[in-house]
Amino acid sequence: MRKDHNSSHLIPFIAGGVVLYFLSGIVDELRVYQGASIAVYVVAISSIILLTGYSGQVSLGNGALMAIGAYAAAVSHVSWHLPIVACFFVAVLAAALGGALLGAAAARLSGPYLAGTTLALAIGLPSLANQFSILGGEQGLLFDVGFPPLSFGEEFTQYKWFFWIAALATLIMMWLLQNILRSRYGRTWRAGRGNEVAAQLAGINTGRSKILAFTLSAGLAGLAGAMLSMTIGTVSPSAFPLALSFSLLTGAVLSGVTTLSGVMIGAVTLVAIPEVADVVAHKLGSSEGVTTNLPGLMVSALLILTVLFVPNGPVEQHRARTAKKLATKNK
Amino acid sequence: MKALHRRKLLTATAVLAVFGLAATAIPAQAAEVGVSSTEIKLGMTLPMTGTASLGYNKIPGAAKAYFDYLNANGGINGRKVTLVVKDDRYVPTEAVAKTNELILKDKVMALLAPLGTANNKAVAASVNPARRGVPVLFVNTGFSGFADTKKYPTTYTVLPSYIMEAKIMGQYIKENFAGKKIGLLYQDDDFGTDALAGFKTAGVNFAVKVPYASGSQSAAAAAGWITKFKAAEADVVILFGVSSATSAMLGVAAQLKYAPQWMLGSVGGDATTIKLTGVPAGVLYNAIGFSPVPATTDMKDEYVKLFSDIYAKAVPGSAFDLNVLLGMNTAFMTAQALKAAGANPTRKSLMAAIDSKGATFANSALVPAAYSKTSHVGLTGYWVGKYLPTGDLSPIGGTYVTYTTDSGSGPVVKSTYVRPAMPAKGLPN
Repeated sequence: MRKDHNSSHLIPFIAGGVVLYFLSGIVDELRVYQGASIAVYVVAISSIILLTGYSGQVSLGNGALMAIGAYAAAVSHVSWHLPIVACFFVAVLAAALGGALLGAAAARLSGPYLAGTTLALAIGLPSLANQFSILGGEQGLLFDVGFPPLSFGEEFTQYKWFFWIAALATLIMMWLLQNILRSRYGRTWRAGRGNEVAAQLAGINTGRSKILAFTLSAGLAGLAGAMLSMTIGTVSPSAFPLALSFSLLTGAVLSGVTTLSGVMIGAVTLVAIPEVADVVAHKLGSSEGVTTNLPGLMVSALLILTVLFVPNGPVEQHRARTAKKLATKNK
Repeated sequence: MKALHRRKLLTATAVLAVFGLAATAIPAQAAEVGVSSTEIKLGMTLPMTGTASLGYNKIPGAAKAYFDYLNANGGINGRKVTLVVKDDRYVPTEAVAKTNELILKDKVMALLAPLGTANNKAVAASVNPARRGVPVLFVNTGFSGFADTKKYPTTYTVLPSYIMEAKIMGQYIKENFAGKKIGLLYQDDDFGTDALAGFKTAGVNFAVKVPYASGSQSAAAAAGWITKFKAAEADVVILFGVSSATSAMLGVAAQLKYAPQWMLGSVGGDATTIKLTGVPAGVLYNAIGFSPVPATTDMKDEYVKLFSDIYAKAVPGSAFDLNVLLGMNTAFMTAQALKAAGANPTRKSLMAAIDSKGATFANSALVPAAYSKTSHVGLTGYWVGKYLPTGDLSPIGGTYVTYTTDSGSGPVVKSTYVRPAMPAKGLPN
């Protein structure tokens, strides 16, 4: 069995950071850029896993919450000239506030109704930006975190800078999240997900617990949104299409929605699929139709395979199998 | 046994993902990125799928058709020109990711005709081709801002700017529709901002202006727009939007039997594209349209004749339309730029060639280009035409009357530009 106590687990994260630091020095720039994208997806998918896997609520609107974070970061940078670190904080807070409001409504809804509400949000919210001139309309706002400090040297590329910022933010967030999930809150969420009535009988205020989960999840999505807009340099409604919300959900399913530990699988897959598809399409003779449709096909196929064979995700599956083996051995 | 299969499948998937990443090895470095002894590699991002792809997804095929023709005739000093095309679905995030792939993985020498104002801006901010010294040839947008050589030092425009188009439209309105009520449909972003600036300079007063957000265009939205134009009793309605917006508007107008004098901007004015969406050709009849290149049905024009022949052989069954002609024209200009860039072209020599000789590059346009050491402005004007009952745009009175202007406060003048003859066989000389 897994140890389930409240230790901080700081060392693996620091070790991970050190590995990433050296890795970013040897791989080429495209990989560094993809690394930054993976970091964005890790945070965004964690946000879904926290909400769906741990607190049992379904949200199809993560793209909208990412948009809130991204716009908050860009506005605080463009209009208020806040330093970048502060912009990221504002992004998290703004999205968390949005999440709290949404969570208050969500606590009264469940299943398909909640999915429907959040879906509407994903469709409607990003285009709201067109209504406010401070948000720059369809063309959006520039979100330029600036060049890396000169002290890092001439060779230090922009994307390495993005990657460092994104990776650091991700590591800190994941560490916090890991600890929250192992705390009292994590346990109350899981209790509520398992059986709401039983949880209430045990003295858990499930409504409040759900709102808290929604708020935290939204904060994570906001951070992911700010990181995404950093890597593309702009924030605009079209950067947060419905397809983004769906691909994040796909990433969460591929990762295994019930546990945070598989989150890398989903994030890497989302970034790798277009590239793998490119290689395959090239081998197939790369007609335009194949090239443009193959990534979607591969993601869908993976999704179906995952749901059929490892519904709880590869990591959970592996863990279950090891546990079973151990159990039979011990008999 | 079954469990074993599952695990194998899972492992296989994971291995596939990892090796897929590793398999995309980096090609060997040449003297200049994207230029080897046998090949010059260019890259393009544009919407190939999704709503915004309508019509524009024919551009890569058109450009490739010309490059294949060029390659079959010796290429550029023995080097073949190849084009890597990536679908960005008209989403800035995708445009950035795909442009990164083009520059960092495919190692293209230059970006060619990337499409869309918002996408080009996102790419400029994040990928920053200028900082990497990567030329961005002939962006496929008329946003005047891209000609700013301080902000976008490696970017070259080719289409006349939206400001120029609006100014020329304004001139035409003054001369032909004085005293009429004018309505304007425009896109609520840089595209529209440019248009509004041009109309303001031209002194056009609108009875009604209807903005739409990019991506919001649909039949339902178009019905709403028509209500506004009807309420304002507009006599002339200018559709200054993308193809999908123009098509939605004309389609719904046909159903509602709403028929003002239409005036179509060149961006969304390609008849083939509009007809593809099911809009009856008759709706276009007598609408006024603008184009910098000859009418696509004008087989007396040597460029149209050659390009349509090449295209018909390369992409059989696909209609030769404005997107195709512009795509091939851009490819033709690119070939001349590469040829003018010297025996061993580099990114720098390529840009220097356009700066010094770009204004004299032969091409099908009936208006002059304004490239110089200090200007990255491409074509500078339009001819005015009317749509025939078949839906094809044709010059008023049968002869091309062209107007030129700039993106500033300069006047609109009737052009005296005489297009140079096409080089032999349509190959760069």
